[in-house]
Amino acid sequence: MKKALDELVNPQAAEIEPGPAEGMRPAPRKEEARPYPGALVVVEGIDGSGKSTQLYLLKRWLEIGGYRLHFTEWNSSELVKSATKRGKQRRLLTPVTFSLLHAADFADRCERQILPLLHSGYLVLADRYIYTAFARDSARGCGTEWLRNLYRFAPVPDVTFYFRAPLEVAVHRILSGRPKLKYYEAGMDLGLSFDRAESFRIFQGMIMEQYDRMIESDNFVVMDGTIKVDRLQRKMREIAGERVDLERYRPGKKP
Amino acid sequence: MSAGTKAARRRAAKARNGAGQPQPRFFGASLPGFHEEELAGSLIVLEGSDGSGRSTQITLLTEWLESQGFAVQTMGLRRSYLVAEDIDELLANNAVTRLTLALMYATDFYDQLEHRIVPALRSGMIVLADRYIFTLIARAVVRGIDREYLHGLYEMSLRPQLTFWLNVGPEAAFEREFKKTHAISYWEAGRDMSLSSDLYKSFIRYQGMVKKEFEVLARRHQFIEVDGERTVAEVNGDLRGRIAGHLGIRSTRFRPTSARTPAWR
Repeated sequence: MKKALDELVNPQAAEIEPGPAEGMRPAPRKEEARPYPGALVVVEGIDGSGKSTQLYLLKRWLEIGGYRLHFTEWNSSELVKSATKRGKQRRLLTPVTFSLLHAADFADRCERQILPLLHSGYLVLADRYIYTAFARDSARGCGTEWLRNLYRFAPVPDVTFYFRAPLEVAVHRILSGRPKLKYYEAGMDLGLSFDRAESFRIFQGMIMEQYDRMIESDNFVVMDGTIKVDRLQRKMREIAGERVDLERYRPGKKP
Repeated sequence: MSAGTKAARRRAAKARNGAGQPQPRFFGASLPGFHEEELAGSLIVLEGSDGSGRSTQITLLTEWLESQGFAVQTMGLRRSYLVAEDIDELLANNAVTRLTLALMYATDFYDQLEHRIVPALRSGMIVLADRYIFTLIARAVVRGIDREYLHGLYEMSLRPQLTFWLNVGPEAAFEREFKKTHAISYWEAGRDMSLSSDLYKSFIRYQGMVKKEFEVLARRHQFIEVDGERTVAEVNGDLRGRIAGHLGIRSTRFRPTSARTPAWR
């Protein structure tokens, strides 16, 4: 939420007299009206759940229609690339520093890309969002409360599609197509198994468990990743249209 | 519950915690995969603004503690293997928002906590920290980041056994810094905050703001305030007295070796 970010990063705060310690503020509520004209559509799910394909198709549909939109991905900025690379190559990352580096990266993207776009009335499509961090980092052992606080500055999505396929189906899609799994990607740092594929399988299962816990609390729209691609896409477009006033982002419309 | 039981429990707790540290070792949740009882050493923090004499004191304390037979490990900001270089680069280019910078500093801190501080404490060493989370919190708060957000961010850090605050006024800090480098750095003057185009005014205002935030932190975290405007030897005597009490060192007599005497004024 813009409001949350303003509370968190307040340019005037320096002038305010330091008061007594306040209690922790809760994360922004979902019912709050959006303080910006843009909208945020998010897809989440484990690898191989079909989320990226579906978001790509949604994006193509909107692009062809000429809508004002921007597509953003998790972990795509230049900012922390060297640190992440150094940490991963030398296997120096712990669950905490892994989480913090991704948060720093996301904060940069959020402040310089996502929020300005939302304020200028764009439809922002995000392939993975903060829930990826919640699921993955809590599977690694970081505390849920610590993680929730860490990402408190992030705007709450208008709709979050959670793509869910049975673990074996999702893992098979990945393992059959891309044999080289990276160390952290496979969760090797957790010491789950010496076999990289087996470690990946277990880790993905742990992540999925964490996603499932957020279905209610974070208002996920659960999408069955085993349904045929075109049918699932029809459903996705339908739901996106219900949750977001797409008309506002059409060509010629002023948001 | 009878008074006897209570006293017995207190004694037991004291015995468990060695030097009689009654509080939990973490501010909030503990680090993932970490066990308190493994920590035998002590964490001693020196906080204070630029020019407060922290680094000099740490050098002297290290020598004194080593002469007393204690193994010492030090830490400071921007010294992690993981991201120190990246932060230097971000600062040099001034190409980053304050929230991102705060999170990079947090990464730097936790990398050192997990790879340097905890292993040292585990093997019974004394860790002397040249600044700690309090500087990071104060700097971020004056830049407008929510205080409770920052406390949450650092809740998995270790609570120091002793936190000294070498308190110096902004004017004295300016003089000392200027003597040292013959120029004032962009960041020490808080120039990213557009407080004043005059670097001296900017420095004084910025250091004043940080100091005010330190006053808040001092109450919240029971800092031991030390008047940092006195001589190095006087300040060092105060620090040795408190540390000797904590570690059970009988004598606080100390004469630095000749390599350290230039600082001993």
